[in-house]
Amino acid sequence: MKLLVVEDEAGLRDSIRDYFTEAGNVCETVDDYQAALQKINIYRYDCIILDITLPSGNGLDILKSLKQNRYPDAVLIISAKNALDDRLQGLDLGADDYLSKPFHLSELRARVTAIIRRKSFDGNHIVVFNEVQLDLLAKSVSVNDQPVKFTKREYDLLLYFIANKGKVVTKNAIAEHLWGDSIDAANSFDFIYSHIKNIRKKLMEAGSRDYIHASYGMGYKFSDQ
Amino acid sequence: MKLFAKYYRVNLVITIVVLLFTGMVYYWAITQILTGQEDKDLVVEEREVFDYVRTNHRLPQVFESKDQQISFIPVSSPVKREFITTYFYNAKEKENEWGRGLVSNIIVNGQNYKILVVESSVETNDLIQIIFGITIAVILVLLLVLFVANRLILARIWQPFYGILQQVKAFNVSEKTEITPQTTDIEEFKDLNNAVAGMSARVKGEYNELKAFTENASHELLTPIAIINSKLDTLIQTEDFNERQSALLNDVYTSVSRLTRLNQSMLLLSRIENQIISGHEPVNLKWLITEKVAQLQELYADKEIKLTMHLEEKEIQASRYLMEILLNNLLVNAIKHNIPQGHIDITLGEKDLIVKNTGIDKDLSGDDIFKRFSKSAGSEGTGLGLTISAQICGNYGFVLGYRFKSPFHYLVVTF
Repeated sequence: MKLLVVEDEAGLRDSIRDYFTEAGNVCETVDDYQAALQKINIYRYDCIILDITLPSGNGLDILKSLKQNRYPDAVLIISAKNALDDRLQGLDLGADDYLSKPFHLSELRARVTAIIRRKSFDGNHIVVFNEVQLDLLAKSVSVNDQPVKFTKREYDLLLYFIANKGKVVTKNAIAEHLWGDSIDAANSFDFIYSHIKNIRKKLMEAGSRDYIHASYGMGYKFSDQ
Repeated sequence: MKLFAKYYRVNLVITIVVLLFTGMVYYWAITQILTGQEDKDLVVEEREVFDYVRTNHRLPQVFESKDQQISFIPVSSPVKREFITTYFYNAKEKENEWGRGLVSNIIVNGQNYKILVVESSVETNDLIQIIFGITIAVILVLLLVLFVANRLILARIWQPFYGILQQVKAFNVSEKTEITPQTTDIEEFKDLNNAVAGMSARVKGEYNELKAFTENASHELLTPIAIINSKLDTLIQTEDFNERQSALLNDVYTSVSRLTRLNQSMLLLSRIENQIISGHEPVNLKWLITEKVAQLQELYADKEIKLTMHLEEKEIQASRYLMEILLNNLLVNAIKHNIPQGHIDITLGEKDLIVKNTGIDKDLSGDDIFKRFSKSAGSEGTGLGLTISAQICGNYGFVLGYRFKSPFHYLVVTF
C-alpha cells in the first residue's frame, strides 16, 4: 500500500514511517500544509494519515480539497484535539476514520488496514494469512476452508494481529483496542492471556501452524517466521 | 441574631430606660408642683386662723369646708410647725383618704394649741394619675409607631443588601451567570455592590485562566506523550531484549499508558466543565447499559464478580457520548473497587439508576469521593472518573449521590 503521512511533529512522523515501511509498502511524509497540498495534487495514495493541527494551515482544508477534486484517497485524521466536534466535522467532510493522539502504532495500522480494505473496489472481504481466512462480512474464521468457531473478541483480536503481522503488539495496545476506556477496570492485563491461549488452541486444533509468539512478556507477535 | 433584631433590642432598651427616667422626673416634678400648691392653700388657712386669733383673742369656730378640715387641740408645750402627708377620715366623703396637712402652734390666752389643717389630696392624686396615664399611653404609642416605622423602613433600606446576599449565595465560579449590581442610592451598599461584583469578576477571571491553563497544559502534553508512545512501539520492534530490559520497558509502557489516560481524563473533564461537549438526543439507557455490560463481561468475569441487572425502559435527553462515559465510569468503578467473587447490581427505574457493588467494608461518604484525584490507596486509576461522572450529571441536572450500606456501596444517579 501507498501512504502519505501529514504530520508536523518529526518524532511522531518518523515513528509512523518506520512502522509502516516494509516490503510492498511505500510511506511518504510531509510536514506542512503547502507540501501536503502539492503532494495530493500530483500523487494518489491508498490512505492519507492527516494531522489536522498543522502550523501552516488546517488539515481539514486538505481534506476539503481532496473531496472537491474527487480524489479517491482514503483519509484517516489524527488529532490531539479529541474534541467531538472535530471528529464529527472530519467525518462529515468525508474522512474515513479518526484517531486521537496519543495512540499505539498498532492501532493506527489496524485502522489504516481496515480503511484500505473497505475502500478496495474488488469487493474482497476475505483476509487471507496462509491457511487462515477471515470473512469480514460474516465475521467468521476458517482454517484450510474449515470454519472455526470464534467469539467476537477472538475474531477482533485475530484481525488485529493479522493487520499488524510481523510486529510486536503490546498487551496494552490489545487491551485498549478491545475494551477502550473500560480497560481502567482491569487490575492487570493477565486476562488477555486467556484470550490468546484460546485463539492459539482453536487455530492449531483446526490444523493451522502456531503464528502467535509471546514477546518478552511485553506482548505478542503474529508471524509465520 | 439578625441585625434587625439586635438593633431593635438595643433600641428598645434605650428607649424604655430613657422614657422611664423622664417619666419619673416628670412625675416627681408634677407632684412637687401640686404639693406646693396644696401647701400654699394650707398656709393661707393658717394665716387666717392667726389673723382671727389676733383680732378676737379666741379660737375661730371650726367649720366644715369642702375639702379642708381644721382642728385645734390644746397641748402643754408648743408643737413644731411642719407639713405632713396623712391618711385621714373625710367626714364629708365619709371615707378615709390621703391628704396633706399642716401642723402649727398657736397661743390663745396663754394656752398652747396645736393647729391641724388637712386638705384632701384625692383630686391632686387623680390629676397626677391622669397625667401619668396619658404620658404612658403616649410612650407606648410612640414605641409602637417607632417599631412599625423602623420595620418598614429598614426592610426597604436593606433590600439591596439581601439582593446582593442572594446573588453571592447563588454564585458559582464555574457558571456563566454574572453578579448583577442592585440599584440603590445608599453609599455603603453601592460599595458592597461594587466590591462583590469586582471580586466575582476577578475570581471568575482567575478560574477561567486556571481552567484554560489546565486545558492547554493537557493539550500540550498530548504531543510529547504521543511521541513517547510511538517511539516505544518502534523500540520494541527491534526485539533484542533481555529479561531485565523487557521488564523495564513494560513498566515504562504501563506508566505512559496511565499518563495518557490521566491526560485524556483531564482534557475531558475540562471540556465537560466548559460545556464544550453537550447535546440533547434521545438515549435509551436500558439499551446502553446492556451493551456496556456486555462489553465489560470479561473484565468482571476475570474477578469472578456476579452481576445482576433490573432494568426498566428509560429514555433520557442527553448526549449519547457523555452518557456512555458516565455509564462506563460507574461500571468500571464498580468493577475496579470490587472484591474477588463480589457482587454488582444495576437497577434502572423511572426516577433513578442505582449501581451497587461490594468492596472494602467502609463507608466512604466522608472521603469526598467526587473530588478530583481522590482515590483509594493503591488505586491505579486517574482519580477523575467519579469527578467526570458527577460533572456530567450536573450538566444535565441529574444528581449523583453515594451511600454505604454494608456490604454494598451505592452510587445513585437521580434523574
